[in-house]
Amino acid sequence: MSELRKAFHEELDSVRASVIRLGAMVTELIPRGTASLLDADIEATARILASDDDVDSLSLEIEDRCYELLARQQPMAADLRSIMTAIRLTGDLERSADLVMNISKATRRLHGLTIDPKLRGLIARMSEQAQHLFISAIDAYADGNADLGAAIDDMDSRLDELHAEYIRTIFAVYSQLNGGSDLPAAVQLALVGRYYERLGDHAVNVGEHTVFMVTAVRAEHLGAERAMRRAVNASTTPADPTNSSSPPPAES
Amino acid sequence: MSLLPPFSISDLSVRYGTRLAVHNVNLDIEPNRITAVIGPSGCGKSTFLRCLNRMNDLVPGAVVSGKIFYQGEDMYAQGVDAAAVRHKIGMVFQKPNPFPKSIYDNVAYGPKLHGKRKGLDDVVEQALTRAALWDEVKDKLKSSGMSLSGGQQQRLCIARALAVEPSVLLMDEPCSSLDPIATARIEELMAELREQVTIVIVTHNMQQAARTSDTTAFFTVEVGEEGQRTGTLVELGETKTMFSTPSDSRTLNYITGRFG
Repeated sequence: MSELRKAFHEELDSVRASVIRLGAMVTELIPRGTASLLDADIEATARILASDDDVDSLSLEIEDRCYELLARQQPMAADLRSIMTAIRLTGDLERSADLVMNISKATRRLHGLTIDPKLRGLIARMSEQAQHLFISAIDAYADGNADLGAAIDDMDSRLDELHAEYIRTIFAVYSQLNGGSDLPAAVQLALVGRYYERLGDHAVNVGEHTVFMVTAVRAEHLGAERAMRRAVNASTTPADPTNSSSPPPAES
Repeated sequence: MSLLPPFSISDLSVRYGTRLAVHNVNLDIEPNRITAVIGPSGCGKSTFLRCLNRMNDLVPGAVVSGKIFYQGEDMYAQGVDAAAVRHKIGMVFQKPNPFPKSIYDNVAYGPKLHGKRKGLDDVVEQALTRAALWDEVKDKLKSSGMSLSGGQQQRLCIARALAVEPSVLLMDEPCSSLDPIATARIEELMAELREQVTIVIVTHNMQQAARTSDTTAFFTVEVGEEGQRTGTLVELGETKTMFSTPSDSRTLNYITGRFG
């Protein structure tokens, strides 16, 4: 028996390869964005900002191809999840590239400022951790590895810890605000930290979408079940006598 | 393999007696592409298809007007031999219709009819291979064509059509009597054949049109004041466009199930 729908499955594989390529673009942008921030390299920053067009172009191409596959091929089961996952991943990856662009825009705003050494160290570590999360998440997607995909959420805790430490350090460094003149720099640096933290969240999404692609189970299922149990409990619990419909006694 | 010039159809109308079945169709069919013709029952899509190899000549009372140029020649000009036209433009029907002969003889029938005597074994093997049936029947070529499954019979009919090396294959709802697996096999086969043959397929299964074709033509029925129903071409376009952003609201209503 020869494979049926060979061309369709080849197109699915090709879309998946493009998503992996998009993931690689984002993964490579993170250290570049960080290096240009820490080196205050305005030319490198301009190159990074220009590369967002390539990310957008590939994102649109993937979405168009998924749209066509949905319109024409009536995908079922694993094939359907594969296309849905490609669409969702593309959204997360495109947004992640935008976050690196935000870091690069902050690089411009922070130009001329000497970043505190401890903050520099934390930025470098947040960047490494964010890149590590993307490498793992894209590996999970490429290999269809649901276990690794599910692990990204736990791995993200490390980035969250670094982010918390980074914010505490900003408070420490800028606690003696110099008549408010340091406030813009402190806010910019806090935002930069936030961008790394959000990058980690998108990597977690990539992992969760991968779990869905492989197992058809979504991370939100647990929360949805809890909500349903609460709703069932609320409808079966007798009415609270303190919350009866009788009017409250008139205040004197 | 040469790229053939398109079928060029202008002002094509078909009457059955006094009834106008298809009105004023204008379209070009491009070579080495799969063109799907879709539309509701009675829209004239099969009638249109039958015009492309002069099968309507065989329908009593059918009158074809307008022009159909194939490879730049007027197919309906005086003196054109309809049988010669059908030699170049093969057809596969809704229901598999193998001859009550052996598998071998079914495929060899056309070439024999055209006077071929030598190398028939090669022709049969090649046609069955192109129709993705050879591996399944090579050990029982003398068995009756009727002994095959429905899907195999349909591929046998495709092999029979291919044996005379047509440049166009017309398919009139070729999968409507087949199960999904046999259907998928025919669809894969169409994708492979497109390299060498121009395919025009009429299908009431619009998902099949979406899956298989490069170009889609949407026909609909217009109901006149006295209730007369006439088929007409609404829109012709790239299949991707037709199934995502058709330009005519009638096409949109049909493909989204809001028709009627």
